[in-house]
Amino acid sequence: MASPVEQFKLKSLVPLEVGGLDLSYTTSALWMTITVIGVTAFLTLSMRSGRLVPGRWQSMAEMSYEFIANMVRENVGSEGRQYFPFVLTLFLFILFGNLMGMVPYAYTFTSQIIVTFAMAFTIFLAVTVIGLYRHGLHFFTLFFPSGTPIALAPVLIPIEVISYFVRPVSLSVRLFANMMAGHTMMKVFGGFAVLMGILGVAPVLLLVALTGFEILVAVLQAYVFAMLTCMYLNDAIHLH
Amino acid sequence: MRATFQAFRGNAFRCRPTSLVLGVGLLLSGLILSGPVMAAAAPGEAKLPQLDIQTYPSQIFWLIISFIVLYLLVSRVAVPRISEVLEERQERIADDLDKAETLKKEAEQVRGEYEKALAEARDKAHAATREAQEAVAKSGAVLEAEARDKVTVMLKDAEIRIAAARTEAIGNVRSVARDVAGDAVAKLIGIQITGDELDRVVSSAMEGRS
Repeated sequence: MASPVEQFKLKSLVPLEVGGLDLSYTTSALWMTITVIGVTAFLTLSMRSGRLVPGRWQSMAEMSYEFIANMVRENVGSEGRQYFPFVLTLFLFILFGNLMGMVPYAYTFTSQIIVTFAMAFTIFLAVTVIGLYRHGLHFFTLFFPSGTPIALAPVLIPIEVISYFVRPVSLSVRLFANMMAGHTMMKVFGGFAVLMGILGVAPVLLLVALTGFEILVAVLQAYVFAMLTCMYLNDAIHLH
Repeated sequence: MRATFQAFRGNAFRCRPTSLVLGVGLLLSGLILSGPVMAAAAPGEAKLPQLDIQTYPSQIFWLIISFIVLYLLVSRVAVPRISEVLEERQERIADDLDKAETLKKEAEQVRGEYEKALAEARDKAHAATREAQEAVAKSGAVLEAEARDKVTVMLKDAEIRIAAARTEAIGNVRSVARDVAGDAVAKLIGIQITGDELDRVVSSAMEGRS
């Protein structure tokens, strides 16, 4: 019986080495490609006819668009417009990655800490640069909101600084841990089902429930990731 | 490039080329920098496959490529298309509402005109009725006055005739009384009384009686 975490191992599909770095096209890369194709197909094929009264697919594409548009508008305001395509891409990339991972034999690239960390760290850097670009040194008042008693500064500033720099870690670990835990758990229950023979019906039933739960987690984590990105953007643009 | 940006109108989200360059730059630097950071955090040989730093360069590399490709597809193709369709619908709905408003106003106007016409007709009918009544009343009064005049004239004529007849009758009575009195005196006492004397006596006798 393979370890429940063995599913996260990457298989090299097309070996590629550039300057001593292993840049092989792996299962993770394959499913990223599938996600890109899936999202593009979802957004463009559904809108091809662009009907006045939308059908099912068109409705779904429009709803995703409006969902993220409202999220950006409510959390960032009108200045957030230019970041809308980025947040939409991010949301759909993670959402499709998570949901595709629920397909048997598929690879969930969002269960790779390096992938989620790369995205979270990019957002962290981008938000910091946007904040510094917009507010200059005034941006550092983010760590000490106006109106706070000066006596609290020695306590508050370290807390704010730490919470700021922990953002990429919490953002990435949240998504990674959720995806990894879910898939590990499903693997464990799947293993039980195999081991228990006829009694394996019980874990299978549990697995069915768990699958539904995992789909919820997949959608929720994509939402949380996009939402937190919006909130960080808002902090950078409006300084609390 | 310009043309695609022109496609963002009204409510659609705008994306400036400068911000795009900045965004892609940030994305790249973030993704590349995250590798060493994670590598420093993860122990060399770990049991969890996700902590195997050997896989990091390839995953970051393919993440950069797929995310940028998806970003370009979403921001250049999907978002303009969806916003266009949404705007079209918005416009269509606004148009339809406008049209409904215009039609409603028109109907309202027609109704007003109809009611005005109705009120006018009613007024006209009232006026005609009143006129007719007045005309009838007037002609009745005229006829009545004419009749009264005629009656008055006839009454006067009759009175005049009666007076004339009476005078004549009285005159006749006087001459008859004179003749009778003259004759009676002549027969009784044989004296022939002259006309003047007789007139005086008869007159005094008649006045005494009347």
